[in-house]
Amino acid sequence: MELADKAVGFLLSAISLSIFTYYTLWIIILPFVESDHFIHRYFLPQEYAILIPVFAGAALLSFLSMFVGWWSIK
Amino acid sequence: MKHVLKIMALLVAISAFWIGLLETSVVPRSYAWLLPIYLIVSLGCYGLLMVGIGLMLFPTCPQEAVLLQKDIAEAKEFLKNKGVDVGSD
Repeated sequence: MELADKAVGFLLSAISLSIFTYYTLWIIILPFVESDHFIHRYFLPQEYAILIPVFAGAALLSFLSMFVGWWSIK
Repeated sequence: MKHVLKIMALLVAISAFWIGLLETSVVPRSYAWLLPIYLIVSLGCYGLLMVGIGLMLFPTCPQEAVLLQKDIAEAKEFLKNKGVDVGSD
């Protein structure tokens, strides 16, 4: 059972580290790179760098409030 | 009440710092605009990382688990002999 826990913990940390590096590269480093470098092909346009976190945050908040509402009606 | 005031004071200080950063152009403007969202995303990432690391490093103490099971069996025996209903296994 500890192996499953360790695997889940490792997966979580790997996901969080990759999200952090991708987002840091996207927002901070990419504007310094000239526009015909090949790395730009791996990153979406910069407007999505704002839309995706805002959308995810709004989805999380609505999910939480729906859950609280469902639980209080029960 | 005082804790809410402390949190609000912290938020006001952070937004004042951000607006000052925007106005005085110490960093390029596009960076200053994106800074709050970047900080929020990195904070969420940091929380997730701490949860993952805690899960990985959690100690399970297998010897204590065995001793606990023995204690439970012993207590159930004792209570059953005294006539208490100890429920299903």
